Amino acid sequence: MADLLIHGGRVIDPAGGFDQTADLLISDGVVAAIGGPAHDERVDGVERLDAEGCIVAPGLIDVHVHFREPDPDHRETIAAGCAAAAAGGFTSICCMPNTRPPIDSPELVDFVQRRGRLARSTRVFTAGCASEARRGQRPARITAMSKAGAVAFTDDGDCVVDAGLMAGVLKTVRAAGRCFMQHCQEPAMTRGGSMNAGALATRLALGGWPAEAEQVILERDVRLNRAIGCRYHAQHLSSRGSVELVRQARREGQPVTAEASPHHLSLTEHQCDGYDTAAKVNPPLRTADDVAGLKDGIADGTITILATDHAPHPPQRKLVEFEEAAFGIVGLETALPLYLDALVQDGVIDLAAMLAMMTCHPAHLLGIDRMGLGALTVGGPADVTVFDPQLEWIIRAGEFASTGRHCPFEGRAVRGRTIATIVAGRTVYLTTRERMTT
Amino acid sequence: MAQTTTGRFDLLGLDGMSADELGSLLDEAEGFVGAVERGESSERLAGKIVANLFFEDSTRTRCSFTVAAVRLGAATLDLTGAGSSLSKGESMLDTALNVEAMGVDAMVVRSGRSGTPHLVARSVGCPVINAGDGRHEHPTQGLLDILTLRRRWGDVAGRTVVIVGDIANSRVARSNVHGLTTLGADVLLVGPPALVPHSFTQIAAGPGRVTVSHDLDDALPRADAVMMLRIQLERHDDGGSGAIPPDYRRQYGLTVDRAAGLEADVPVMHPGPMNRGVEIDSEVADDPARSVIMQQVTHGVAVRMAVLNRAIAG
Repeated sequence: MADLLIHGGRVIDPAGGFDQTADLLISDGVVAAIGGPAHDERVDGVERLDAEGCIVAPGLIDVHVHFREPDPDHRETIAAGCAAAAAGGFTSICCMPNTRPPIDSPELVDFVQRRGRLARSTRVFTAGCASEARRGQRPARITAMSKAGAVAFTDDGDCVVDAGLMAGVLKTVRAAGRCFMQHCQEPAMTRGGSMNAGALATRLALGGWPAEAEQVILERDVRLNRAIGCRYHAQHLSSRGSVELVRQARREGQPVTAEASPHHLSLTEHQCDGYDTAAKVNPPLRTADDVAGLKDGIADGTITILATDHAPHPPQRKLVEFEEAAFGIVGLETALPLYLDALVQDGVIDLAAMLAMMTCHPAHLLGIDRMGLGALTVGGPADVTVFDPQLEWIIRAGEFASTGRHCPFEGRAVRGRTIATIVAGRTVYLTTRERMTT
Repeated sequence: MAQTTTGRFDLLGLDGMSADELGSLLDEAEGFVGAVERGESSERLAGKIVANLFFEDSTRTRCSFTVAAVRLGAATLDLTGAGSSLSKGESMLDTALNVEAMGVDAMVVRSGRSGTPHLVARSVGCPVINAGDGRHEHPTQGLLDILTLRRRWGDVAGRTVVIVGDIANSRVARSNVHGLTTLGADVLLVGPPALVPHSFTQIAAGPGRVTVSHDLDDALPRADAVMMLRIQLERHDDGGSGAIPPDYRRQYGLTVDRAAGLEADVPVMHPGPMNRGVEIDSEVADDPARSVIMQQVTHGVAVRMAVLNRAIAG
């Protein structure tokens, strides 16, 4: 019995190289058919979603989000985060383990996965800590967490600094067949830092956070991993120099990948002028040349993954002085139009390439491509995102499904919006019921 | 920045103020100097209340604002970190909102963090005056320094002011850099490399230029005025051990010998508090022919009268 017919949209499946106007039939949670204007008897009486003028893509995947569960002080539960993810068109996300307590045991990995299933929305995957309690001293129970389902390992929010620990972690993660994600931040160079180092930080009298603090760790890690060969993923690249390091490593054939965030592709350090704490993020927003460097890296395939680093905080953590404010930007519900603007409208890459960076590439990094995620294939899971690339709207953080309200894009007019988010054939987000016809 | 979009007068910093805005405030302050010197009061702000919100310790600046308010007939409300609800965990912003709800006519804000007055100004309806925010700005100090020089020279344009010390951690330096360069003076910043980053040469729009030197003896012959600053030990994460040379006085102190080499008409300034025998020798600080430090203090009251009058009476 068929469940839903998405008709009249432009179906783009970057993994399969498919890009044409087609109907997509979903049945029993899987893609039943992809084809021309439907005249299949299976579609008679099936619920229909009019996707004319829309893009029909594999469900979007975000390898880097911060849902705050477990954490007694945060309202962004896994369910709340999933609502934000679904509204942004994401059908799979990977939680970072810097919760309280941190996700450093198979029991907590299992807890997060169960909470994710209970949310009955976006699929929830989780990374586990690289070090025990994220203290950066001893390795966490990586093998056990991997068996429990952790798809990646990281101390995100903090860097794995100790080179001896790092080598051990890389070997263990490699043996588990997972990927390691590094938050590249040399701690001594960033002590007291709250924005990009340079003349603006000097003028605002805020502690500087140099781009070199990202690069020295990345450079060290690439060297360290050369003999180990773990799949190494550099999170949230912020500087041109870092892109060049990843470029060289990939040219040598190293298993190195990297991600870029919507804010690092759209904003510069000038957003911090006037002490706007919504723009305080780790790593910090940098210069126009760094933004151009990130775009160059995307254009030439150095950066292959787009990730939001969705980091909600309660309002009181941002309604303080800049140096006191928490780091982080709410990202899931604004990512799609911001990427479209920064990458496609700006001519950096085409739409299919952008979607590859949000579907099959992240799926491969997390190893969830083996579940058929990140692609649209007949018989594969019906995780589908339908979005209207032309729909104009104005970003209003007050309307977010996320509990986070700090958004440096507040009031910005953008183009492109999720119409429907479908996970395993079930519609978990739909903007307007009017678009549904039977 | 001096004017908010609502037309309310805030004084958050000298950064962004035009030469006209600075000149008009300085003219107004000039008009108050005589009254301060003669100890005269007026009733211009009778019935008004100025709240001093001092989230960081201060003696000179708080007293100066209080004297300025009283000379204008206004009452003052003093709120300091210790002994207030701040010590009970209330946020700075909640404190400011409570004071506003009581009904005050202006808030004078001092804080150890850059940007506190900006945060307060976005949240309250009354005018906000920055009395020093972290390492960022101390605009009334900058104005009183410039007033002192302007009264001496007539005009600061074309002059070179040498500022010596812990520039990176100094809000006085930043306010002077913005105010002086906007009015056409050049500023030469001097101190150890770790305390005088080269990025200072890019923070001001001009027309005056900002240059950096790490050699005081090389810089002093170019000075039309010398401003000495103290090392802000409280703002160094490591107590200053990494950035401050052990022979600081020998390299960067305004010693009796160095002062003797200055032209006779070059004034010596210091915003206080002074560390006598470190950045400045007592004989230099107390030399009536050279030191204008007490004049600066007197001019501080005149400048704050002008700022309060502008903020409250318009």
